[in-house]
Amino acid sequence: MTDKRCDPMAGIASRRDFLKLSGSALVALTLPPHLRRPGLPARLYARQVEYPRQVIGRLSELEFGQPVSFNYPWDHPASTNFLIKLNEPAGGGVGPDQNVVAFNSLCTHQGGPLAGQFHGDRGVAGPCPLHLTTFDLTRHGMVISGHATLGLPQIILETEGDDIIATGVLGLIFGYHSNLADPNA
Amino acid sequence: MAEDTYTPQDSVPLPPPDANVHTTACDYCIVGCGYKVYTWPVGEEGGPAPDQNALGSPFPGSVLGPWISPNQHNIVMVDGRPHHAVVVPDFQATVVNKGGNHSIRGGTLALKCYNPETPTRDRLLYPQIRVNGELTRVDWDTALDVMAAVSEHVLRNYGESAWAMKTYSYEFFENTYAITKLAFASIGTPAYAPHDKPGSGNDTAGVDDSGIITFSASYQDWADADVIYISGTDPFETKTIVFTSWMMGGPKLIMALPRRTAGVAYAEANGGLFLQVIPGTDTLLHLAISRIILENGWEDKEFIEEWIASKWEIEMGMGRGTRNTPWQWRTTWGQFGTDFEGYREWLLNYEPAELANAAEVTGVPAEKIQQVAEMLTGGGGPRPKASFGFEKGNYWSNNYLNTASFAAMGLLCGAGNRPGQVISRLGGHQRGWIGAASYPREKSPEKLPGRRKVELDLDRWVEAGNVRFAWVIGTTWTAAMAASQEFARRFRELTVENPHQITSLNKQDIINTLIARVDSGGMVVVDSDIYIIEPLGTEIADIVLPAAAWGEHDAARCNGERRLRLYSKFYDPPGEAKPDWWAISRFAQRMGFEGYDWHEDNDVFEEAARFSRGKVLDYNVLVWYARQQGKKGHEVLRELGTEGIQTPIRWVNGQMVGTVRLHDSTLELGPPEGPTVHSKWLTHFKTQSGKALLIKSPWELFSDFYERIKPDPEKGELWLTNGRINEIWQSAFDDIRKPYIKQRWPDTFVEIHPDDAAQYGIESGDEVRLFSDDILIQTGGWIRVRGDEYNFTTLMEQGLIRAGSGDVRAIAIVTADVRPGVLFANFLHPADPANSLVHRVPDPITNRYRFKLGKAQIERIGESPYKNAFEQMSLKPRTASG
Repeated sequence: MTDKRCDPMAGIASRRDFLKLSGSALVALTLPPHLRRPGLPARLYARQVEYPRQVIGRLSELEFGQPVSFNYPWDHPASTNFLIKLNEPAGGGVGPDQNVVAFNSLCTHQGGPLAGQFHGDRGVAGPCPLHLTTFDLTRHGMVISGHATLGLPQIILETEGDDIIATGVLGLIFGYHSNLADPNA
Repeated sequence: MAEDTYTPQDSVPLPPPDANVHTTACDYCIVGCGYKVYTWPVGEEGGPAPDQNALGSPFPGSVLGPWISPNQHNIVMVDGRPHHAVVVPDFQATVVNKGGNHSIRGGTLALKCYNPETPTRDRLLYPQIRVNGELTRVDWDTALDVMAAVSEHVLRNYGESAWAMKTYSYEFFENTYAITKLAFASIGTPAYAPHDKPGSGNDTAGVDDSGIITFSASYQDWADADVIYISGTDPFETKTIVFTSWMMGGPKLIMALPRRTAGVAYAEANGGLFLQVIPGTDTLLHLAISRIILENGWEDKEFIEEWIASKWEIEMGMGRGTRNTPWQWRTTWGQFGTDFEGYREWLLNYEPAELANAAEVTGVPAEKIQQVAEMLTGGGGPRPKASFGFEKGNYWSNNYLNTASFAAMGLLCGAGNRPGQVISRLGGHQRGWIGAASYPREKSPEKLPGRRKVELDLDRWVEAGNVRFAWVIGTTWTAAMAASQEFARRFRELTVENPHQITSLNKQDIINTLIARVDSGGMVVVDSDIYIIEPLGTEIADIVLPAAAWGEHDAARCNGERRLRLYSKFYDPPGEAKPDWWAISRFAQRMGFEGYDWHEDNDVFEEAARFSRGKVLDYNVLVWYARQQGKKGHEVLRELGTEGIQTPIRWVNGQMVGTVRLHDSTLELGPPEGPTVHSKWLTHFKTQSGKALLIKSPWELFSDFYERIKPDPEKGELWLTNGRINEIWQSAFDDIRKPYIKQRWPDTFVEIHPDDAAQYGIESGDEVRLFSDDILIQTGGWIRVRGDEYNFTTLMEQGLIRAGSGDVRAIAIVTADVRPGVLFANFLHPADPANSLVHRVPDPITNRYRFKLGKAQIERIGESPYKNAFEQMSLKPRTASG
């Protein structure tokens, strides 16, 4: 785990400047070139430089619609995530069919547990048992219907051979004020 | 920090322990959840330990515990200095949004705050006048002087009814009090209409005439019910917290809608029922259910005996006078109002209400209709507590008949005046209306047969060229009304296409030009708003005024259970933006009107209090109490925080007491104390006798219009109904400036059934065109003399109906959630209002539009950018989970 990150006390303006200036450190969510369309706004970006690289599974071991649980970026209950292979390509998806994605398992409305509510066949997470929010797993965890004020945080994945590697988180995990502040500290 | 392109953030600044804390309520839907705002200077930040932040909570926290999403943070100016602002639901709330529950709308309130580094940068900052076609900055004095000079000319030469106002009805007591004082007391114009209808008066006259005040219930009543019949709305989508905090896990839900929604999916999975009605047919559904109840003797006989008015009680207190107020003639005319025996006899002999016919017309299977009657009454077994909630799918389809038949169905089940047994609106916007004077109906140029003056249809009045000056405040007017593209065309003819256009910044030249416009038959338009809107601000208005809004001044209003709260100011209004009451007061002073010497928000709040006396939103006791304490009214309200107090407020045993529900037969009132007013409807129904009325709803009063507008499949026509979704509030004026929401909805949508989609070669994500050249528009019919002159057939015969056109585009979402033959669109997208395809022929009994009964042909244009890319717009059905 690296603790390297931009100064958490920095003003919001300088945070944005950091994002602008360190473009080379930003990784675009993997959108295959043939799916890119003119007229769409810029890609979604996440700061990845501060996050650890962690092997979380193997492509050959994943089965369609069978979620696999893992912790990232911390060994902490709130940073429990699910790795899942969908029936369709997805934003940020890895593997030969770009259909392997991973998301945090706490609803970003009020922290409801989404374990057991990852539906690979439909590309949907939810409904959250608390207030019924649903998330689109093919579109970066965007809210389909419901109340969350943030999409479901997506774990940014890469592959090396058969290994699936978590390299960052797109969006703040429920309960946290910073994904990179050690919750066990 | 929100940028134009949405970037999910992975951290958020925490408010330090000494951050300023303000209480407020959400600016959006009727529920009015309680919120807290933390502000602190940029450069400081709190920490994750409970003693390091103003929430007093650890980060990471726990499920249901306090949390701050990055979209709940912004940077605002406070006293000219940049501050962090965090806007979060009140996690300590014990009312409304208990424990900090919230919707996606309110949850992202922080993003609506003005910050020039975000898409809010186009807030209106200064008064502007359109010179040579371009909006040009002027000072407030110039704008107001021009308005006053033109207004004086119009009033002197063309009379009050040529001077019009079209305004919101809800944006805080302080502003609506100023609006009504100007329009009704000082000017005395009948040419006034609220934002959502063509004229003043009742929204839901059939329920009102039955003696039921439409916001009589408390949220607790929905939780206490055993079964709720919900008509024409999914509260999950449009008044979220009423659903998620008060209905889920409690009563069984029966939902009558043309479209399956997430709330319906929940209802079906939890013992409820879905009645997928064909648009516009609810009256027959209600009548069929009521008829089954009466046939089986399942009605609540004890309640009916005690609480339903007899023929004599309907007439009592009326004397032999003219009965020229709308509710008087409707209830005593004979066509509608009747006693229980009269209603029973009518309905049991009324053929259209027979089960087989109703099932065919409504599209709801007969066995389901039978099942509803049993669920609502217990079917002869123990009687459940049944409640009845309704909204616009009901009363904006067939205004009078749907509401009257709905109320009657509820009353037969014994609902209306007991805990957990209520008949109430579920609500759209919040309740922020106070009338400083009554609408001058006697001046209205419009009447029904007999001596029945009705509130003026302002849209038809404009269309006829009778308005010379119009002041629009906080509404889109053209887009929000029916046949909206045709309506905008008429506005352009009367304004920008008139030869008299401003070409100089010289004040006297401007006045002379606009007076010449008025005298040539044209119209001058002033538009007060927070953003420039299409097309009223961008193309039509001569003068645009900048308004200060939520969070930028102190203001008050009530929510859907009449809960009054202070919406605190917590940051500086941008530029020279002012609250609308301020602009009105300075205009009124120029007009020589007295009584507008207000200096701050509280001045108006306190003055308005006595005009609330004896009414549903009565807060006079609070202001009286504040004076005893040597405090300001707003100050006392601020002390009540997010809990506030439910109106009418009463003074009991030396303290302020709120009123949980209206028509409450369980409420025991002592003698009124202090300035308390005890209105009859606190404990009884709101009728002459205090008893409720059963009102007949003959389908024939609607069926001529309905038959004419029914889509013709031979011509490729489909119903085009419309409504709201969780993520978008009203015209999306804030949502299109919230990058998080804009990512979800970069464009507007239309849902289409797979069978229809296949016929037209449409797939999810395709851009489609919706169009019709058969959108009906009523062009006259002001003075109705003969008995049949109000109905649609006669209007047709008299040549007072013309056909116009509408043409909009949307992104298709193919889903079996809509009925075959029915399209569902977002109701008010700024660029493509589905209202363009809605007929501008109001209900003849009440002058209310049938917004939900549009029609359209559909054709595919091509793929949208969202069809195959992943960054924006989910195309999954909203019931994807179910």
